[in-house]
Amino acid sequence: MDNNYNYAFLDEGSKREIRRASLKAVAIPGYQVPFGSRELPIGRGWGTGGIQLTLSLIGPGDVLKVIDQGSDESVNAVNIKKFVGLTTDVKTTVKTEEATIIQTRHRIPETPMKEGQILVLQVPMPEPLRIVEPREEITKKMHAEGDYSPMWLLLYESLIRYGRITVASEYPCLVEGRYIMNPSPIPKFDNPKLDGADCLFLFGAGREKKIYAIPPHTRVIPLAFDDVPFEKESFPGRRCRLCGSGGTYLDELFDSATGEKYYQCSDTSHCQEVRGCI
Amino acid sequence: MTALTKKHRFDEVYDAQKVYRLLLTAVSNPAKSVNIREYAEKLYGAHPAMLTLAFTLLDNEVGFSVLEDEALAGDIACLTLSREAEPEEADYLFVTDPSLLEDAVRRAKCGTLRDPHRSATLIVECAGRAGLFLRLAGPGIGEASEFSVTETVKTALEFRDKQCYEAPCGIDFVFVSEDGGLLALPRLVRREAR
Repeated sequence: MDNNYNYAFLDEGSKREIRRASLKAVAIPGYQVPFGSRELPIGRGWGTGGIQLTLSLIGPGDVLKVIDQGSDESVNAVNIKKFVGLTTDVKTTVKTEEATIIQTRHRIPETPMKEGQILVLQVPMPEPLRIVEPREEITKKMHAEGDYSPMWLLLYESLIRYGRITVASEYPCLVEGRYIMNPSPIPKFDNPKLDGADCLFLFGAGREKKIYAIPPHTRVIPLAFDDVPFEKESFPGRRCRLCGSGGTYLDELFDSATGEKYYQCSDTSHCQEVRGCI
Repeated sequence: MTALTKKHRFDEVYDAQKVYRLLLTAVSNPAKSVNIREYAEKLYGAHPAMLTLAFTLLDNEVGFSVLEDEALAGDIACLTLSREAEPEEADYLFVTDPSLLEDAVRRAKCGTLRDPHRSATLIVECAGRAGLFLRLAGPGIGEASEFSVTETVKTALEFRDKQCYEAPCGIDFVFVSEDGGLLALPRLVRREAR
């Protein structure tokens, strides 16, 4: 640990503010609590919201896992792990079940998370209504009044125009029947994992200065119509080329030399566990 | 020359992190009781558990109110540099006397539909043993379940229900007992008929 930095990099005043905001966010699931996002030695938009949450949460005894698009070895994940390690000395892991805090971008691990674990999601655009309304003043009012008709209209128009809802990631969900929330750019495949989970989900948007949360055992329902139910991605007939799993979220890879397309698990640690590599 | 000594052993970095995580566990799992005794013992005064939470959460960015307990108010202000505010304006209300609970609930700010986070957290000291059963439901609990609580918790929820807040406006409760037991009941936790 580099003792020239405060423990977990942030000063204690910054941590306290983030902690207060996260507690309020847990008390009002799905509501975006504003906070004073701090400068970090990493560009905004590279996971600063998630990092600030992680740094305010972490302490001796924690075990940290960081994934980016399901991978423990991506540049973003490795550098975040190194940065947190440099300022805390906490143990890191690639095993989902070993971690007490998992910071992630774009995926929820395939291994179901347990009670006591915290999943910190990096969020580029926390406001689900931004796609239908550019003004923050108005979206705040829409949330206050529970006026989500433009969002429903967007989904309906997509259905009419393309025959299906074309939102691929950041698929909006309704939290405890009150707030429409952006689950961060996870694929639709991961949306059902938010509903009634055993773990705590914390969402941090550093650039947009918002924190929101989903406590365990909370209703999180992807928006859908009575006659057009929510559908997540499926991969019929396809299996991971490495571990052979069929029920996981698969990445499509392309070999430009042979023109061959093949599939493998997006969650690399799950894939390795199935193969007995870790 | 007289050496300066600290009045307490509470570590602002490591102990505050531990207490915050326990508090986060309690707020996200309202049915779950956690214990902060180990950290409260490092502080002083007649209400060390309350001082522990104040030290963890408060600073000069927020206001607090302690109803009719000047000694505790002085300790909190001295330790955290937080400003004392009227109960209607306070972000955190500390209630040590159960007879003042109704007044605190009535005066605490509940936020607005636009900014529900601009609401108060009430930190209430509970005496006595849990023995009353309440059926509670809401985020963090899921299916309604029965929990054993103290008379103060039951009364506080009754006072809160009387306010008829329009969700998501409301106030959040944190109850601490003399032995360091801590129970949180955020605004969306509701009582169900048994």
